[in-house]
Amino acid sequence: MTAITSLPRRAARFGGPTYDERNALVLIAPLATVLFAVAVFPILYSFYISLYGLKLTRPHRVPFVGLENYVTVLTDPQFWEAVGRTAAFSVMSVAAVAVIALLAALLLNEEFPGRRVLSAVLLVPWAIPYVANALMWKWIYDSNYGALNGLLYQLDFINSYMVWLGDADKTLALIANAFVWKEVPLAVILLLVGLKTIPADLYAAAKVDGANALQRFLHVTLPALKSSFALVIVYETMMAIRHFDLFFILTEGGPGDASHVVAWRIYVETFRNLNFGLGAAMSYILALATLALAYAVIRALAQRI
Amino acid sequence: MARITFKAVTKRYAGDVVAVRDLDLEIFDKEFVVLLGPSGCGKSTTLNMIAGLEEVTEGELWFDDEIVNTLPPHRRDVAMVFQSYALYPHKSVYENIAFGLRMRRVAAEEIDRRVRDAAAKLEISHLLQRRPSQLSGGQRQRVALGRAMVRQPAVFLMDEPLSNLDAALRISMRAEIKHLHTAMQTTFVYVTHDQAEALTLADRIVVMNDGVIQQIGAPDDIYERPRNTFVASFLGNPPINYLDGTIEGADGAVSFRRGGMRVALPPALAARLRGSPGREVKLGIRPEDVSRHGLGAETPAMEGIVDTVLPVGSDRFLGLKVEGCDVFVRVDKQAHHREGEPVRLALVPERLHVFDKASGLSLLADGAP
Repeated sequence: MTAITSLPRRAARFGGPTYDERNALVLIAPLATVLFAVAVFPILYSFYISLYGLKLTRPHRVPFVGLENYVTVLTDPQFWEAVGRTAAFSVMSVAAVAVIALLAALLLNEEFPGRRVLSAVLLVPWAIPYVANALMWKWIYDSNYGALNGLLYQLDFINSYMVWLGDADKTLALIANAFVWKEVPLAVILLLVGLKTIPADLYAAAKVDGANALQRFLHVTLPALKSSFALVIVYETMMAIRHFDLFFILTEGGPGDASHVVAWRIYVETFRNLNFGLGAAMSYILALATLALAYAVIRALAQRI
Repeated sequence: MARITFKAVTKRYAGDVVAVRDLDLEIFDKEFVVLLGPSGCGKSTTLNMIAGLEEVTEGELWFDDEIVNTLPPHRRDVAMVFQSYALYPHKSVYENIAFGLRMRRVAAEEIDRRVRDAAAKLEISHLLQRRPSQLSGGQRQRVALGRAMVRQPAVFLMDEPLSNLDAALRISMRAEIKHLHTAMQTTFVYVTHDQAEALTLADRIVVMNDGVIQQIGAPDDIYERPRNTFVASFLGNPPINYLDGTIEGADGAVSFRRGGMRVALPPALAARLRGSPGREVKLGIRPEDVSRHGLGAETPAMEGIVDTVLPVGSDRFLGLKVEGCDVFVRVDKQAHHREGEPVRLALVPERLHVFDKASGLSLLADGAP
C-alpha cells in the first residue's frame, strides 16, 4: 500500500486530481454509496420528517410544523415517565453486566481444568440473535410451562406457577435479566483482553512488596482495567438505552405501562399510531441524549486514565 | 542480614520439567552472588525460589536458621528488581517507591523520609510526581532500585536488571549497583546471562546450565580455572578456542598433539597426564593468551594461516586456520598481518586449558578424571 500512496503522480491536466486521489475515490465510492443510502440519508430524512406533521392516517396533508414535534415530546409527562423507566432499566442492566462480567473475566483469567470449555460456553449467549434471545426468555418466563416456574416450583421456592411478566414491580428487572444474559459475554471478552495485558511481573512485584490478594486486585488489576471498563460501560449504556427487542417480544410495554420505555414509545408512536413526525422527533432526542451521555462518560473516564 | 542456604533443592514444573536439579548452594551474609547462565538454565527460577514466588518442589531452603520453603514472599524480608522494572503504571514514582512500605504499614513520616532519601541517592528527586510512562528506561531502572532500597531488606534480589538498558547506560549502572551493595551492607543475589556483568559485580559467581550448577567461585577463579568446557566457553568474549587432539608422553615430557602441531604441557598438567598417552583431549586457548613476542625454540607455539583481520581500535583480532581449525586470537594493534599470511604465535603454558574430550571436564581442576 505504501508503494502506491507514497508516489503521487500528477494527472496530465494541470491542477486535476492526482492518480492517487482518483484511485482513492474509486475505491471508496462503493462503500460511501451504500453508507449514504442506509445511514446518512435515513438520518437526514428522519430529521426532515421530524419537522413535519406527517401522520399516515392523513397522508395527504403534511404541514410544516417546525420544532413543534420536539416541544410536544418534551412537554409530555408520559415521555418523561418513559425516560425514567429507560434510566432505571439501563442503570440496573449496566451495573449487573459490569459486575458479572468482571467476576467472570477474573475467573477465566485463572488457569484451571475446564477453563477452555467454560470460556466457550460463556460465549454462547453472544452468538444468539437478539430476537431469538427474547423468544427464549419469553418461554423461560412463561406462566404455564416456563422453565423458571418449573425450577422454582420443584425447588419449593414457590407454591404455584407465577405470571412473572405480569407483575409490574418485577417486569423491568426480569427484562434487564434477559438483557444482561445476552450482553455479559462481550463485556467479559473486553475485560479479559484488558486482564491479559497486565504483566505477570507486576503481580510478582506486588507480592514481594507485601500486597495480599485483595490489595493486588485493588492496586494492580483494577487500575489496569480502567480503560476496558470504560469501554464496557459506554457500550452497554448505549445498548441499554436504545434497547427494543426484549420489550417488543416479552411485554409490549406492559403490564399497563410498567415496561413502557422510550424505545418502545418511539415504536408505538411511529408504527402503531402512524405518527411519523412525532416518532422521528423522539428518535432524534434519544439519539442526541445517547451521544451526549457517551461523550460525558468517555470524557470523565479519559481524564482519570 | 541473611545467609541463604539451598540444600538439595529441586524445582519441577507440571509435566515433569525440571528447572533446577539438586541444588546445593550457600550464599553468605552481605555477599554479592551472581547467578550466571544462558536462558533456561534455571537461574531465574532459583532467584524466584529465594523470593518465594516459586515453590521449592524438593529439598530445603534456609534463611539463616529458618526453613522458608513455605514462607510467602512478604514475610521473607526480600526486595526484588525485575528486568521489566515492573513499576505500577498508574502510580507516581513516589507512590511506586512507597508502596512496599505502605503495605507494611510504616508510619507516613517515615515513608516520606525514606522515599526522599532514596530518591536523592538515586538522583530522581525531581521525578517523584511523574508516572512511569513519562520516564526513560534508565530512570525507570532507578525507580525500581529505589523501590527495593527503601524496604531496607535482608536480601536484595535482581533479575537481569540491566538487560533493557542501552550499552553505555548498562556500564554506568553496573558501577552504581556495586556502590549500592557497599552502601547497603546486605546480601545481593543477581541473575544475569551477561558474563561481563557477572565478572564486574560478583564476589562469587554461580555458573548454571540445564538446572545444574557448573561451578561456583570468585570471578577470577572461574575465568582462570574453568571446571569444564561449558564454563570455559560461557565466560570470555570472544570465547575460548578449542583444538581437539591427543596426549603424547615421550621421554617424561608430556605434550598435546594435533597433526603437525605439538605443544609441550606445563609440569602441573604433565604430571597428571603422564600415565595416559593417546588420551583424546581438547586444548583450550583463550584469545588473549597468545603473544607475538618471546618466541624461542622451546616455547610452546601455534602456527596458522591468517584468515581474517578485525581491528577493534584498542586491539586487533585475527581469525586463524590452525591445523584445520578456526582459532580466534587477540594481538596488539602493532601487528600488521595480512590475510593468507602464515603466522606463529607463542602460547603461555600456564594459561593453557586441557579438557577431557568426552566429558568436557577440565584436567586441571581438583578431582579431575
